[in-house]
Amino acid sequence: MSDKSGSKVMTTKEAISKFVNDGDSLITGNYNESMPMSLLFEIIRQKKRGLTYYSQSGSFDGEFMAYSGCMEKMVSAFIYKWGGSKRGGIIEQYQRAGKIQVEDYTNFTYNARLAAGAFGYSYLPVLPAIMDSDVFKIRGFMGDKKFGVTTCPFTGKKTPVVPAANPDVCVLHVQRADKFGNAQHWGGLGSTVHACLASKIIIVSCEEIVEPDIIKSSPHHTIVPGFRVSAVIEEPFGCHPFEIVGFRGLDTAMFSLINQAFKIDGGMDAFFDEWIYGLSDRASYIQHYIEVFGQDMLSRYNARSYYSAPANYGIPFQSGWDINGISNDIGVDMEGLEALIAEKGELVDVN
Amino acid sequence: MLTKKITRQELLIIAASRQIQNGDVSILGIGLPIIAGAVAKKTHAPEAVLMMESGICDFEPRVLPMHVADASATRGYGYATDLFSVFSTITYAGYLDKAFLGVGQIDKFGNINTSYLGTPPEAPRISAAGGAPEFYGYAKKTILTMKGGQFVNKLPYLTSPGYLGGGSEREDSGRYTPGSGPSILLTPKGIFKFDEETKEMYLDALFPGVPVETVKADVPWDLKVADNLGSFPVPTDEEIKALREFSPRASFSSPVAVQLVFENFKRRIAAKKAAQKAAQK
Repeated sequence: MSDKSGSKVMTTKEAISKFVNDGDSLITGNYNESMPMSLLFEIIRQKKRGLTYYSQSGSFDGEFMAYSGCMEKMVSAFIYKWGGSKRGGIIEQYQRAGKIQVEDYTNFTYNARLAAGAFGYSYLPVLPAIMDSDVFKIRGFMGDKKFGVTTCPFTGKKTPVVPAANPDVCVLHVQRADKFGNAQHWGGLGSTVHACLASKIIIVSCEEIVEPDIIKSSPHHTIVPGFRVSAVIEEPFGCHPFEIVGFRGLDTAMFSLINQAFKIDGGMDAFFDEWIYGLSDRASYIQHYIEVFGQDMLSRYNARSYYSAPANYGIPFQSGWDINGISNDIGVDMEGLEALIAEKGELVDVN
Repeated sequence: MLTKKITRQELLIIAASRQIQNGDVSILGIGLPIIAGAVAKKTHAPEAVLMMESGICDFEPRVLPMHVADASATRGYGYATDLFSVFSTITYAGYLDKAFLGVGQIDKFGNINTSYLGTPPEAPRISAAGGAPEFYGYAKKTILTMKGGQFVNKLPYLTSPGYLGGGSEREDSGRYTPGSGPSILLTPKGIFKFDEETKEMYLDALFPGVPVETVKADVPWDLKVADNLGSFPVPTDEEIKALREFSPRASFSSPVAVQLVFENFKRRIAAKKAAQKAAQK
């Protein structure tokens, strides 16, 4: 039996302390949207150190991971300078000062490393234009192993390749999951599926834990199967201030506050003390938000429902027998079957 | 027909919007491209297929998205796929008609830097590559926009290859979609195109009120100028209406827009406090 069978429901604190170790490589599964902020805040609170952090998208998660001191190395495809053009970004400052190392990929080559990891390949071809780019030519801590070049055995063409990435831990926030970890997510998926499936441990937080029946009637929304998941946490607002389709939009009020924190002296320390270190969990974070901004502000970003048309997964027979108890193919009831077995079956004596 | 008063920012957006033809499959980035796409879809290109690289394909622009996976683009979209598919099955496989890219630094052959102002790790960062190198490599046509960027003789870091050393170098390398590369560069000073033979950038049209000398002063090489200089397309009322309905803040320069949003936010907080005080009395 898999060590990942059965219920995996636990708290954010438990999941992070159990599954994230100093020196791990850690990836944020979500791409720009529904970022797993509750899980990342807990990693910061638990002061994990020496992490290699994979984050594709240039959101402030990377800046936070650098500023917290959790992150030693970063792999990314886009880095936004949250402090603005004058002050610069935290990742930028730390990289220039040699406090962290950053390896730059493009969105596709970053994703291709995870796809290779997810498929179990050791490398994957990428698009040849990259060979003319300094993203290919200039190497950071990956050195010779950032990219390779191979020859296609069929066309003879030189083909750039990337090595597989298999992060130790993936943190992910989704709309819903069951207790087994079957996780459903919809919206701008980016490289989320490959990020999850490439990783050894997957921690899922979700807006709601639902009955397995809900999952079974909408399997097209399941992006990670339960047998790959190590922890499931019901964490409403787990991605706040980021949006999550069907629940709420990006909270621009909170984003303004974070933007300010990046741009004033002492702003980051104050923000970390007030919103991360000073609050024990997500519930108290949301409580604090309501105290500061008011319930009205929080509710302002609620999604107005727009339901997907249900897909009809119906089939004609629910077993080998129809609703009257008659076999679908032989045309007899159970008694009739036993009579046929006695008459025509190749009987075997096992007593 | 244009009867409304319009701004410089609006003129640039409409020029970009006119680059999208009805039925085009286009990839749009955040900012100007997405607004241009929204206007095109509401006016001359209702059947354009607009996509963002997170895998949100054939979407209806309603609200200005803040990033390329923004949930506001997911209300009613035709094809929910992922980033890997956007780059492989759509872009590399040859189905992407137009890409829009923002420029940090550009050289005379349309090579672009959006990464570092020098050699990492010591150099200051611009931002990073994102999806640019691959979209630039395989979209049939790329529309470049540059606000606050720089023309340079030699890029300190080449993020996204354009026409490389010019002439047929890009074509000869065999690494790109045949015929692809930058087709146009739009800036708040002019419209630039690329010579069919040499692939060198030249000035094709002037922004209203901007003299040629002002444009040339920004360019460190001897910029060639078209024999018959064109002008920016004149927006219609319909286009301006579509633009303002989609993103009212897009009519302003970005510092002014940020200030207006911030002031609104302050008013909202003040109103909340006043209401609380009134309730206490």
